Amino acid sequence: MKYLYTYPEKCTGCKLCALACSLKHFGECNPKMGAINIVRDEFERYEIQFVCLQCDDAECVRVCTKKALRKEGNVVIRDEKKCIRCRMCVVACPYAGVHSFKGKIIKCDTCGGDPLCVKFCSTGALKWEEESMEITERRKRLASALLKR
Amino acid sequence: MVLRRKLAIVDLSKEKVTVQDVPNSLRKALFGGRGMNVYYLYKMLGDNVDPLSPDNILIFGTGLMTGTLAPCSGRFNTTSKSPESGFLADTNCGGYFAPELKYAGFERLIIKGKAKKPVILHVTDNNIEIKDAKDYWGQTTNEAQKRIRQDLGPVEMVLCGPAGENLVRFACVRTGVKNAGGRTGLGCVMGSKNLKAVAAYGTQGLQVAHPDRMIQKVEELKNYLMSSKITPILGSVGTLLLYEVSNAFGGIRTKNSTLNAWRDDHNAAFAEPFIEKMIACQACPVHCRHRNVFGGEGPEYTTLVLLGANIGMEKYEEIIKLGNLVNDLGLDVSSTGTYLAWAIDLYQQGKLDKKLTDGEELRWGDYEQAVRIINKIARREGFGNILAEGNRAAAKLGDPNKDYLIAVKDIPQSDPHDVRYMKAFALGIATASRGADHLRSRPTLEIFFKLPLEVKERIYGKGVTADPTSYDGKALVVTWSERIFATIDCLEMCKFICHGFNSPHFVDYSWMKELVYCVTGWEMSEAEVSEVGRRTVDLERLFNFKQGMTEAHDTLPRRYFDDPSPLRAARGHHIDRQKFAKMKAEFYALHGWTEDGRVPEERRMELEAIQ
Repeated sequence: MKYLYTYPEKCTGCKLCALACSLKHFGECNPKMGAINIVRDEFERYEIQFVCLQCDDAECVRVCTKKALRKEGNVVIRDEKKCIRCRMCVVACPYAGVHSFKGKIIKCDTCGGDPLCVKFCSTGALKWEEESMEITERRKRLASALLKR
Repeated sequence: MVLRRKLAIVDLSKEKVTVQDVPNSLRKALFGGRGMNVYYLYKMLGDNVDPLSPDNILIFGTGLMTGTLAPCSGRFNTTSKSPESGFLADTNCGGYFAPELKYAGFERLIIKGKAKKPVILHVTDNNIEIKDAKDYWGQTTNEAQKRIRQDLGPVEMVLCGPAGENLVRFACVRTGVKNAGGRTGLGCVMGSKNLKAVAAYGTQGLQVAHPDRMIQKVEELKNYLMSSKITPILGSVGTLLLYEVSNAFGGIRTKNSTLNAWRDDHNAAFAEPFIEKMIACQACPVHCRHRNVFGGEGPEYTTLVLLGANIGMEKYEEIIKLGNLVNDLGLDVSSTGTYLAWAIDLYQQGKLDKKLTDGEELRWGDYEQAVRIINKIARREGFGNILAEGNRAAAKLGDPNKDYLIAVKDIPQSDPHDVRYMKAFALGIATASRGADHLRSRPTLEIFFKLPLEVKERIYGKGVTADPTSYDGKALVVTWSERIFATIDCLEMCKFICHGFNSPHFVDYSWMKELVYCVTGWEMSEAEVSEVGRRTVDLERLFNFKQGMTEAHDTLPRRYFDDPSPLRAARGHHIDRQKFAKMKAEFYALHGWTEDGRVPEERRMELEAIQ
């Protein structure tokens, strides 16, 4: 199963992913409206991506009283028509993967299994990959870090 | 919509903000950024204005591409009359401030007057508030930004440091940890207006004319940029890559240009242990910024040499720390490194009295001494108070004719290149509109020795040579470079991805035309796009001549003419005065300027009619 994986240590903070996402889904260049959101602080020295993890047993699905959210395959789908914008999913998500901005609920739909954000990342900080690949990659990096010491 | 962003005129004396629409005819003629900034400066600034008086104006301007999906488009220009030179003050800077200003609804701020006490401007959606800055005044650029964020939330800022507050003539404006509008003393102008910072936060996205096409074209462009051999190098070592190529032939400014090459262990590879991560400005896939292990960002190539070789520093880590200090205090790296080297050189020559230097014996490569003096400059204490005047300290320092200052039009040379070997570089810094400056025209491809002549001819035109030491065809190379870099500065995309800057490929007029179409829907020809750069260069020339510049100001530091380079391939090379004059005359002719370097009357009227 493929998922969208984030590698914060490779994120440069540029927000091209969020800009592309907002332009595709809302017709405007606005990094604050990306379903993928970059939090960066050059004084605290970090860049981190926040995006829906598409949980199997998702809190957002559980708390939605209108059944506007459901899991389909590897994606949590949000139904715009059923949604009453109560923002409960935003509050309930433990990973800050769903957010609301200017009255809109913003959540990653993986662009139907071909996420645009990945195409705009220049460092491999975003990857659409099999779960086995993801863990292999992280283990490799951990191994090289351990062996360096 | 990109084309509905406003111009705000802030009068700090009257505490009044006026918001205006911007005509699209003006945007079409100049795109924004550097071009529109100089347009307003030329139109609005009175005659004989003292750069430090309330009558000077200070402009922060974004470009047509700022804040959009266009790559490397997080940029803005800051423009004014320079307290360092008395001519054009203008800088181009990246980071995250400019997009935020645009998301708040403004494409440009023009600041007039002087606040009664220190203030900041707080920009939110369609609103600008003048707020008290007493909690931030006196703080370094890092301290102040952290504090302002605590108070105002996730704003992005442009500000001056203690150096600007204390009216150091070469104080910079900064956004973030290291990004600077460095040259020409704009931080000093901020200080003179009692303006500590402009902080912006906006929620309004930018709608573009053709969203789907823009996504498709930018993805294509990004892949094209990333497929170049140079991009991964820029993304792993940044501008430091230039050290090795320049040092190899003897093109590194060393010890105030008494030498022209320095240590080989300052090559980019040796920086690696001190770099934690490479980071980017907004919308940039290149990511050339170093986050260093000493709590700051950098070094850039400029820092490495002007606070390194030029003042005789041996240790990489000490150079990085000096860079961090200069950045935090809000001083310009190039000017600071040049003035320090000048003072040390003059001391070594016996022209400078120890009484003036607070008892210091000025030496090459003394880290602790450099730290002491830099701190004193920013706070205008003792000897620092003299150096804070920059070129104006010449008589006091025993060099009244500035014979040993590496500067043009009273602005120290921006880049580390010793230009005695490379004649196109020499012409470029001699004629740049903001003093000795490489970013107006740096013809990098000139020193790509392996680049075939036919490729150079295709780019610059017939008549160029493959020999950097020849004077032939160099006017062509500089004019071509100047125009395309001015155009990309008006769009506010980074020169790093501009055709002809780091690569014979990348963003050329055809790509610019495409991006302009995606964002605005305007169908422009490549020739029309290039006219934007030409107008900008001419407007800057008009402004400078109005401020008293003449043809005689287009010259070089005396040392580049009279003292041949002593080391490596460049050994024995210098700039020949007669050949230089001929090259300059060709350059004026290519611009369509008069023999004495003026913009002709007809052209002046044409440019003044733009609105």
